[in-house]
Amino acid sequence: MKPMITVHQLSKSFRLPQPAPEGPFRGLRTLMSRQYTEKEAVRGVSFSIASGEFVGYIGPNGAGKSTTIKMLSGILHPTAGEVQIDGLNPHRDRRRVARRLGVLFGQRTQLWWDLPVRDSYDILAAMYGIETDRKDARITELADLLQLGEFMDTPVRKLSLGQRMRADLAAALLHDPDVLFLDEPTIGLDVVAKRSIREYLHSINVELGKTVLLTTHDMDDIEQLCSRVIVINRGTIGFDGTIDELRRRIGLPTLIRVTYRQTPVLSSTGLASYDDSSLRVTEIDGHTVTAECNREAISAMDALRLLEQYGEIEDVHMEEPHFEDVIHNLY
Amino acid sequence: MMNGLRMYGLLFRASIRSRMQYRFNFWFSSVMLAVISIVEFLLLAIVLLKFGHIKGWSLAEAGWLFSVLSLSRALYRTVANDVHNIESYLVSGELDGLLLRPIPVLSALMSRNVSFRFGEVFQGIGILAVSMSTLMREGQIGWLSIPLTVFVILSGAVLLFAIGLITATAGFWLTRITELQNITEDAARTAVQYPMSIYPRWLQGILVGIIPVGFANYMPGLFVLRGDTGWWMLPLTACIAGALFILALFVWRFGLSRYQSTGS
Repeated sequence: MKPMITVHQLSKSFRLPQPAPEGPFRGLRTLMSRQYTEKEAVRGVSFSIASGEFVGYIGPNGAGKSTTIKMLSGILHPTAGEVQIDGLNPHRDRRRVARRLGVLFGQRTQLWWDLPVRDSYDILAAMYGIETDRKDARITELADLLQLGEFMDTPVRKLSLGQRMRADLAAALLHDPDVLFLDEPTIGLDVVAKRSIREYLHSINVELGKTVLLTTHDMDDIEQLCSRVIVINRGTIGFDGTIDELRRRIGLPTLIRVTYRQTPVLSSTGLASYDDSSLRVTEIDGHTVTAECNREAISAMDALRLLEQYGEIEDVHMEEPHFEDVIHNLY
Repeated sequence: MMNGLRMYGLLFRASIRSRMQYRFNFWFSSVMLAVISIVEFLLLAIVLLKFGHIKGWSLAEAGWLFSVLSLSRALYRTVANDVHNIESYLVSGELDGLLLRPIPVLSALMSRNVSFRFGEVFQGIGILAVSMSTLMREGQIGWLSIPLTVFVILSGAVLLFAIGLITATAGFWLTRITELQNITEDAARTAVQYPMSIYPRWLQGILVGIIPVGFANYMPGLFVLRGDTGWWMLPLTACIAGALFILALFVWRFGLSRYQSTGS
């Protein structure tokens, strides 16, 4: 399939005035200084995203996520490299690319603060040259999907954060873009609002067939929505693949907690036949034994068979590593 | 173009509506702006009434210079208020949102916050009407001066817009530009509210040659009010406004490519 977004060797560096060396009047000397340091925010990033994909773009603060998104959407000019959105360059063809893009910045609304939600849509529709009939149909459809009905005529400043995010999402979708960039769409939302935003995002991807690039710090967003993850750290891509590949690569252990009928007798030789890293007892508490198991080296069934040597097993509890911990190890 | 105008109309109405959300502030600021500029003119009027004229300019003539500039400025700020306020867009990174729209950034910026300046408009039309009727009664100017005055006001609005836009563009490199605006926009404009002949030569040179606000009222005024120069003064005025405006658009486009946005 033809890729929707192609990024080739993309780089961006900022020039920052270099602070003067320590000493008296440091501030003043910095002001007069003509020396700059180049800060490379993004270095040689390449990837391509197919139409209809839902990709998570994650990384710690200051890794270059927002800078990349801004270059993809034509806000920033790259220092080097090339971006193509459906074959168009967002810098040379900013206005044409803008028609194909819907962008949501979770931290900042794009609606008119003092106007009712509906009026913002009217203005946006005029900007994108959407005819009245199509606009009305589109707003009805989006109001239905995102449940905007109850606050359609409320000024934006009076909306709750969850409502505002839905209204903003509808604004990003109003001109029926093929590609959506979502920059932290669940930031600051409560559990219920987060869940509903995720459901909406899922249906936008599946039912409306939009290509979505999502940046977030909420690993549940990534785990529940994205078929693919790109991890950026210090300006370069550290990982690009599916969530399962990411888990496997980091190889965090699965926790197995076994409760025995009788107090288990741990012979010193019992687990010795296995390599230490594949199955390791970490904690013994009465009838309960906790072990870490590397699923790459040993299957869960084999691990249980080994643990059965200590006695009759009454109950088993298995815990997959938290995705958040996986990411933490990657950063 | 038609579509652009239609969109601008829509945005204009929306801005008025959103300002009306704060009704007290809307009316209060309108009235205050009018009061402030009338007080400014009264100070000038007191001086002129005391001495009859300054450097050969009568009260009515000074009133014309003053009100023509007020109206040009009101027009510029009504159409493009946020060009003047670009600093807040640069500091907060709000310009990002404007770059995401399929319309020129300048149009998006201009439409973001339209402020219709009732106060200045009423004050300007009032003083202009009194000044011009006095001058007509004295036979100094004829009916032809009315269309010429409208022409000077429009050309002056373009000129002030161009100066404002070039100053705003400096923000792409400097980010904070309030002080620069104080010089190029506020100080220069305040200076030409009064007949420029009261200033020393070097200052007149700056106001005509470097920051050419003199062409918003004084220079064309020489012809419209007194016929001191030839008719060529009016096309020259329009040419300077137009040329500066085109230059401003070029500089603006270049500046935009240097936009660095902010962290988030």
